[in-house]
Amino acid sequence: MRGITRAFAFGLAVAFLAGACGGAGTGGTAGTSSPQTSAAAKPKFEVQTFMYSIQVKGKLRIGTQEDNPPFSVKNPTNSKWEGFDTDIGREIAKAIFGTQGDPDSFIEWVPVTSATRIPSLTDNKADVIIKTFTINEDRKKQIDFSDVYFSTGQRILVKKTNDQIKEVADLGGKTFCAQRGSTSEQNVTKAQPAAKALLLDSYPACLLALQQGQADAVSTDETILFGLVKQDPNTKIVGKYFSDEPYGIGIKKNANGDRNGFVDFLNTWLAAAIKDGTWAKLYEKHITPVSGDKKQAPKG
Amino acid sequence: MPGAIAVEFPDLFFGGLWLTVQLSVLGLVGALVFGTAVALLRISPVAPLRWAGAAYVELFRNTPLVVQLFFLFLGLPLLGLRFASDTFDNIFRAAFVGMALYHGAYVAEVVRGGLLGVDRGQIEAARSLGLSYLQTLREVQLPQTFRAVIPPLGNIAIALVKNTSLASTIGVTELLFGAEIVESRTFRAEEAFLTATLLYLALTIPLGLLVNGLERRLLVVR
Repeated sequence: MRGITRAFAFGLAVAFLAGACGGAGTGGTAGTSSPQTSAAAKPKFEVQTFMYSIQVKGKLRIGTQEDNPPFSVKNPTNSKWEGFDTDIGREIAKAIFGTQGDPDSFIEWVPVTSATRIPSLTDNKADVIIKTFTINEDRKKQIDFSDVYFSTGQRILVKKTNDQIKEVADLGGKTFCAQRGSTSEQNVTKAQPAAKALLLDSYPACLLALQQGQADAVSTDETILFGLVKQDPNTKIVGKYFSDEPYGIGIKKNANGDRNGFVDFLNTWLAAAIKDGTWAKLYEKHITPVSGDKKQAPKG
Repeated sequence: MPGAIAVEFPDLFFGGLWLTVQLSVLGLVGALVFGTAVALLRISPVAPLRWAGAAYVELFRNTPLVVQLFFLFLGLPLLGLRFASDTFDNIFRAAFVGMALYHGAYVAEVVRGGLLGVDRGQIEAARSLGLSYLQTLREVQLPQTFRAVIPPLGNIAIALVKNTSLASTIGVTELLFGAEIVESRTFRAEEAFLTATLLYLALTIPLGLLVNGLERRLLVVR
């Protein structure tokens, strides 16, 4: 018992010393502002910020979905996470831990679905959710969002041979498939109350249901539909946008200072990534192959 | 108040509960009929019948129910088979068949155990009195078996009621599905899932009592 207490006290003392040194170091660099000698230098954060505690912990927990192309896919052949959202996550990891080494070594990937996004933040299972996560008022009551990092709208996917369904209004009496727990279902039923919802856990399952004629249409954000068209060229996207979907990075609300400075940090990082062309590069890498267009920023 | 949210969304909670009840009752009847038939195959004197029964039990007992449900819903249509042309009829029937097949495998093992538990001497006596194989089965073995296997069958029945929640993954709008939809619309996760839990208990606890009652009534003092 005594041994344990002593070991604990020793651990505390070490942690305190380390903390004190870290604090002094932060002050020192800020004061002298020595020019960055190498890109590998670790970014410095104030001790009370969330970024500092993540840096000390050594891992950023990123919640995203395993099958949500072109935003996030866990490649079944090599288990590597790929897509726009996952690369956004890697850029954030670099902004916290520095550009040295493989950003994945600082990341713990947490698989989530639409329905588990908010609970995984409020239950503190993930530090950020980057998963085609639409910012809306209801959700803002539960969690915080960064600024818009991607902007799209909801449209409809049908078989190429289908010429009856052209707009959301044409879904009356028809079966459409959407992901359970997403806003897509509510947007369709708001626009066309006579539409029948088949709600499954993922869009690949919805695509299968569409191919088999078990659903007449799949409806969700256009960018996700782009990914589905890529999987099955016998489908097409129809209709105008009938919703605005501004995506944000979700984080837990600051409580007792446990997320100090995190929203501001993400927004500053995002503005810089748009300005220096990193954002445009990720768009071109992941979205252009399915959409055919190029963008410099989330809006326009 | 967990109950209040059920009154706010009666379609999702009570409509869902009704589907859960339907799926449970139909699934249980299917599992009992099917499982008993398979148990008879497994003790049959004909070897290929025994093999077929064993293959079925191992296949369905050793794979996840969710996988079986997805196969019935999205796999069979690839082979040109579908339970109904209407999508929502199809998913409900796929869920029912999945419940019956999966739990049927467990029922088969329980009933087989019961059949094997009947005293060998009784079977020999019945046969020497001139009863045929099937008559012996029907008049001597099965009645005693069902009496003996009521407690384990009760376990399976309760497991089945809870496992109907997996039908939500193929889009059946049962109780858990309703709770998830309410949660995503209201963000009142605790209330929604606590209410669903209470409604499941309202099904499973009386079911357990029913099984206990049956067991007492049919108890044979040996």
